[in-house]
Amino acid sequence: MSRFLLGLSAFILLSSHWSTASAQSVGLPAPRLLTTWPMGGAIGSQVEITVTGENIGDAGELIFSTEMIKAAPKLDAEGKPEKNRYVVSIAAECPAGIYEARMMTPLGISSSRVFSAGALPEILQKGPNTTPATAMEIPVNTVCNAAMSVKSIDHFVFEGKKSQRYLIDCAAKRVDSKLDAVLIVADSVGRDLLVDRQGKTLDFTAPEDGRYIIKVHELTYKGGPEYFYRLTVQELAAEVPLPKFASTRSVSSASWPPAGIPEQAVLAEQEPNNTSAMVQKIDLPCDLSGSFFPAADVDIFEFTGKKGDVWWIEIGSERLGRPTDPAVLVQRVVGEGAEQKLVDLAEFSDIPSPMKPSSNGYAYDGPPYDAGSPDVMGKIEIPEDGQYRLQVTDLFGGTRNDPSNIYRLVVRQAAPDFAVVAWGLHMELRNGDRNALSKPIALRSGASMALEVVAVRRDGFNGDIELRMDQLPDGVTATGLKIPAGQNRGIMVITADQHAPQGYRNAGFTATALINGQEVQRPCHMAAMVWPVPDAWSEIPVPRLVADVPVSVTGTDPAPISIAANEKKVWEVRAGEKLTIPLIHTRNSEFSGASMQLKAFGYGFEHLPPFDVSLTADASEAVIDLGALKTGPGDYVIAFYGSAVAKYRDKPEDNPRDIVDIVVTEPVSIRVMPTEAK
Amino acid sequence: MLVSFLAVSTARADDSADQTAPTTTAPVAMGAEAAEQASSTGERISFVNDVVPVLTKSGCNAGVCHAKAGNGQNGFQLSLLGFEPQEDYEHLVKEGRGRRLFPGVPERSLLLMKATGQMPHGGGRRLAVDSAGYQTLLNWIRQGTPSDLATAPALASLEVQPGSGTVLKGAEQKLTAIAHYADGTKKDVTHLALFESNDKAMAEVTDVGLVKTSDIPGKVAIMVRFQGRITVFNASIPLGAAVKQLPEPANFIDELVFRNLKELGIPNSPVCDDSVFIRRVSLDIAGRLPAPEETRNFLASTAPDKREQLIDTLLKTPDYADYFANKWTALLKNRRDDASDITSNFAFHAWVRDSLLSNKPYDLMVRELLAATGTVIANPPVAWYKRVKEPKQQLEDVAQLFLGVRMQCAQCHHHPFERWSQDDYYSLSAFFSQVGRKPTSTRGEDMIFHKRGVATATNIKTGVALRPAALGDVIPEIAPDEDPRLKLADWMGSKSNPFFARAFVNRYWKHFFQRGLIEPEDDIRDSNPPSNPELLAALESHFISGGFDMKNLVREITRSKAYQLSSVPNEHNLVDRQNYSRFYPRRMQAEVLLDSIDSVTGASTDFANLPQGTRAIALPDNSYNNASPFLRVFGRPQNESVCECERTQSSSLAQSLHLMNAGDVKAKLAVANGRAEQYAKSELPIEDRVRDLYLITFSRQPSESELQTAVSYLSEPVLNADGNPVDPQQSLRENFQDLIWALVNTKEFLFNH
Repeated sequence: MSRFLLGLSAFILLSSHWSTASAQSVGLPAPRLLTTWPMGGAIGSQVEITVTGENIGDAGELIFSTEMIKAAPKLDAEGKPEKNRYVVSIAAECPAGIYEARMMTPLGISSSRVFSAGALPEILQKGPNTTPATAMEIPVNTVCNAAMSVKSIDHFVFEGKKSQRYLIDCAAKRVDSKLDAVLIVADSVGRDLLVDRQGKTLDFTAPEDGRYIIKVHELTYKGGPEYFYRLTVQELAAEVPLPKFASTRSVSSASWPPAGIPEQAVLAEQEPNNTSAMVQKIDLPCDLSGSFFPAADVDIFEFTGKKGDVWWIEIGSERLGRPTDPAVLVQRVVGEGAEQKLVDLAEFSDIPSPMKPSSNGYAYDGPPYDAGSPDVMGKIEIPEDGQYRLQVTDLFGGTRNDPSNIYRLVVRQAAPDFAVVAWGLHMELRNGDRNALSKPIALRSGASMALEVVAVRRDGFNGDIELRMDQLPDGVTATGLKIPAGQNRGIMVITADQHAPQGYRNAGFTATALINGQEVQRPCHMAAMVWPVPDAWSEIPVPRLVADVPVSVTGTDPAPISIAANEKKVWEVRAGEKLTIPLIHTRNSEFSGASMQLKAFGYGFEHLPPFDVSLTADASEAVIDLGALKTGPGDYVIAFYGSAVAKYRDKPEDNPRDIVDIVVTEPVSIRVMPTEAK
Repeated sequence: MLVSFLAVSTARADDSADQTAPTTTAPVAMGAEAAEQASSTGERISFVNDVVPVLTKSGCNAGVCHAKAGNGQNGFQLSLLGFEPQEDYEHLVKEGRGRRLFPGVPERSLLLMKATGQMPHGGGRRLAVDSAGYQTLLNWIRQGTPSDLATAPALASLEVQPGSGTVLKGAEQKLTAIAHYADGTKKDVTHLALFESNDKAMAEVTDVGLVKTSDIPGKVAIMVRFQGRITVFNASIPLGAAVKQLPEPANFIDELVFRNLKELGIPNSPVCDDSVFIRRVSLDIAGRLPAPEETRNFLASTAPDKREQLIDTLLKTPDYADYFANKWTALLKNRRDDASDITSNFAFHAWVRDSLLSNKPYDLMVRELLAATGTVIANPPVAWYKRVKEPKQQLEDVAQLFLGVRMQCAQCHHHPFERWSQDDYYSLSAFFSQVGRKPTSTRGEDMIFHKRGVATATNIKTGVALRPAALGDVIPEIAPDEDPRLKLADWMGSKSNPFFARAFVNRYWKHFFQRGLIEPEDDIRDSNPPSNPELLAALESHFISGGFDMKNLVREITRSKAYQLSSVPNEHNLVDRQNYSRFYPRRMQAEVLLDSIDSVTGASTDFANLPQGTRAIALPDNSYNNASPFLRVFGRPQNESVCECERTQSSSLAQSLHLMNAGDVKAKLAVANGRAEQYAKSELPIEDRVRDLYLITFSRQPSESELQTAVSYLSEPVLNADGNPVDPQQSLRENFQDLIWALVNTKEFLFNH
């Protein structure tokens, strides 16, 4: 454990209330867009938006992940920009859906917030509307942007027509809100008629002409600007299926869909297929859609297997956003008639996380992102010619009657492949502070930032995966530390040089591998925490995928310390010998403590023993004993990392405050040459 | 007193013809004296059927004595109630190098010396030297402590004679216990059997089976136990008065309640008036006082079915769901142990409340709870598995709460009052053996899933892995893919299930009538029969045939005339405590009382994390007790037990003092813009204001004398510290506060009557 970690741990252990104990902040200030008000607008309209955030400065640019939404500063009567106010134009051709909104600030690009574009006209909540008597009128076929107050129930009222079907929807979690929404339709005096507490859309048919009250509240009556929601009341024709609303995606969904499958499955499940006597015959390969409905549904498919055949089975359900836990049982049919028996061949349930995720307890001991899934991915080898059964169930489905709990079953011959997802690397520490997990790629000049990249390997693919990032802002370079064969973790180091100008650009982030002699390229998804969470004890951090990968440079705030090899070259060394790399330190801050400990990442060098470097000197060196590491000949890229407590000043005139953050060196290329023949 | 035996039907009528048949063990008519005689004549003593019962009868192998878990008492261990004779023989005869028995001088045996108090004995004197039991033990030792463990005929059944009958008030009835053995023999074991009344206030029973009744009419059961077998003498104690003014029955409930009253001769109180009814039924269904407007409309209505209309209206209100959710969430242990529990507790409470509001069938609701899978947010009944983690906890809670069967004893030994064995216990536990858990991001909270595999649970005594079986019912083999909990839910919800519906209707009956047809409501067993078996069976049948419709059951109960009888006793039925000849008043429970005081005073109580105006009956978990002395003093449960008894319904001095003097009650009386202030500012005639207050508080108009007393008091000037009158409006306000205080402290307010 580093000196920093030891010091921090001891400090925390002495504290009676760990969650607020540390006087150190975690993570240098990063710009974060927290809310926009409203949270969306109608397609083809202009909307005035007010934003709030952390470290977003006085004036910044408001940027969206689509060119079809643009923002300009809102000008006051004198033509000057109003602070944090914008006029957003949503093009008429902009597809309905959700987009990422960010601020470009003096500290770089901010974290993202969902911004919705929809077809219906939008209104804003006028409060207070916390009683039936003060219920706010919401016209039918309208979206109301609203925010929940603490210990409140928001009331809305609409005119319902007898036998008319209405869709009543409260978009909250799926558009980044902290609101665990409870949505209720009640009669005109507030008596509940229909309730949803799981974020579903209410499908309500009015029993009579009259006024109906809609109540919205947070499950535990929390509130505040972060507890925003978009309430939709819309007429719906009978028999029309409920529309599917856009939603942010879970980290697990980065591995869905498998490459090459069509948007819609070729086959559909055909009930009844629940018992041995009623199975659905399929031919392999197959691509089939089904649903875990009704409760305790069992779907059994029978196929003919040929000895020696190998089939890969994959199910997507949780990765489609459903609260399910699919399981597959494959059985061989032995004998016939009354003598028939089923012999288990294989069972599959979860897709394991490529890395052990951190718990949400006291210690942060791994990535807080789980790229695994309750879905299924597995392989079967057919032992004998004959009939086989593939049984699909939902381990969470015993009592739930929800036809929207769908799945997609894909059985194919091996199509080796991979999916990758990345997130900002965070230091390991014993502290409930997860604030710094909400980490935009906002580089201080001279800083290197590490992204942790993990791979979900598919169908037996086990080779190297190279990481690449391009379309970077000026002065920024990115170096991928590959995901080695047989492993699941790599690192992408993004470095802004000392003179990189302020700017941002949407970067391309891909991973490539040689599969069966062909180069296969896959996009690398980025994941981020939806909200900065200062105390994980009281609030569970929620991650999601983001739609794009904007990289930015602050240009104004230099990194507290930059460490790089004294030469940009390939460092050559023979296997078994020692390599000394002189390191140059560029310091722009004072630090608490005289030294910090560095470790290495990069294939072949992960086991380099930690070594100390000075936080007061301008140079140090890394001594690498190839003999001890037993790293074989080849080309390698590594980087060093550690953590240090900077005496950070928000402004030059401010008193310094202690902020601990991760320090990453510029990558170093090393060529290990074979041992010289004697 | 002479036995007053009016009618007898034996529990085993088909065996009665055999009573005089010769037996090999002992004659049927053998009582204590006969036993002594038989023993002294050298007849062979059976260790299993003679010696062990003596130890049981003497209390030697009770759980608090030598059958105490661990090592018994002072190193001498016996099996509980003699359920393991093999072990007892080892301990008695062989353990301690045989020091407990002294065949050379049997009378000097440690066993006898201690049991008779001739040597110091922590358990005191358990046997008299001249008792039959002593003789049995002595003769067995004299005979060389023979073992008949392998040969003793097994006890096949136990019979009590008579099996049932009518016993007059203050009379006696002698009972005879007869053991029937597998070899066809039978024996009078009255002197060895244990007798226990299920209601000692109604009837007591002596060690030798002599029942003595008190003056309380009704049904009482005497449990007779012998060697793990149980039988019951059901006594009917009539009051014997003429029952002439029964109301016209509204439904089957009335027919069966009234038939019972006629049989017992207990005259009923008349049907209550409308004021009493609206208050009673509002408190019982919606957990609140009726609003003044509701009362006015109801009293003014002339509709012949206005009571039924009111019941239907109340059942449609969210108040019904709130009130019964409050009941169920306490029993389902919705408990806040950690701040992070708040989300799961709120979600679980909401699920219960929504289920009740939508009138989800009870069997479906229980099924969703028992077989819950997934996360708490996606499927809130999963939260139950957060509170009840282990399979044995799960089976015990399910058995007690949903089946009315207490299985806890059977975990370690055969249930002493029941037919349940350890195999029954672990077979029931096996239903929960395939509950899988995955951690979630919330500490202490798991995702629940069905873990594929063959469900079994191991009997810790025998080491045998048992497949799921449900309290005497065989469950077809459960495939590894099937969640056994769903099979348990199937069994529970089947129309032939003997426990599920019975436990529910009895629990709800108690809710409305204060006393269950079986008491305690969650201790349904052969040895604790219902006070009105026909009524219980009819309710059960009604509930099942109605599709486990909870609202329908409530509707049926509350529309019965039996429910609507006045609580005012007549000259006969004051002693009636179980036949529902009148309504039994009960104190409002803590939450209802707090809400009612808020209603009357015009105050509101602010609860953490809940919107202003949230009523106490809508509190989602127990955490609010910590900040509310009121709720604690009036016995709001901490949600730690599946037993309704965790809620304190008794009255106490602390409660009286709290109502009279506590700061929170005083603050409500004086709250700004509260009832007192509004009345003080009102321009209505003072009499109208008093009438309004009575309507809110008691759902009735004041009597003339009450009105005059109140008006007179309100007119009195209030003096300040200097003895001068205060401002008239302030004076009136303070007087109204006093009047409200006085009304709130009346029994009429505090009780549902």
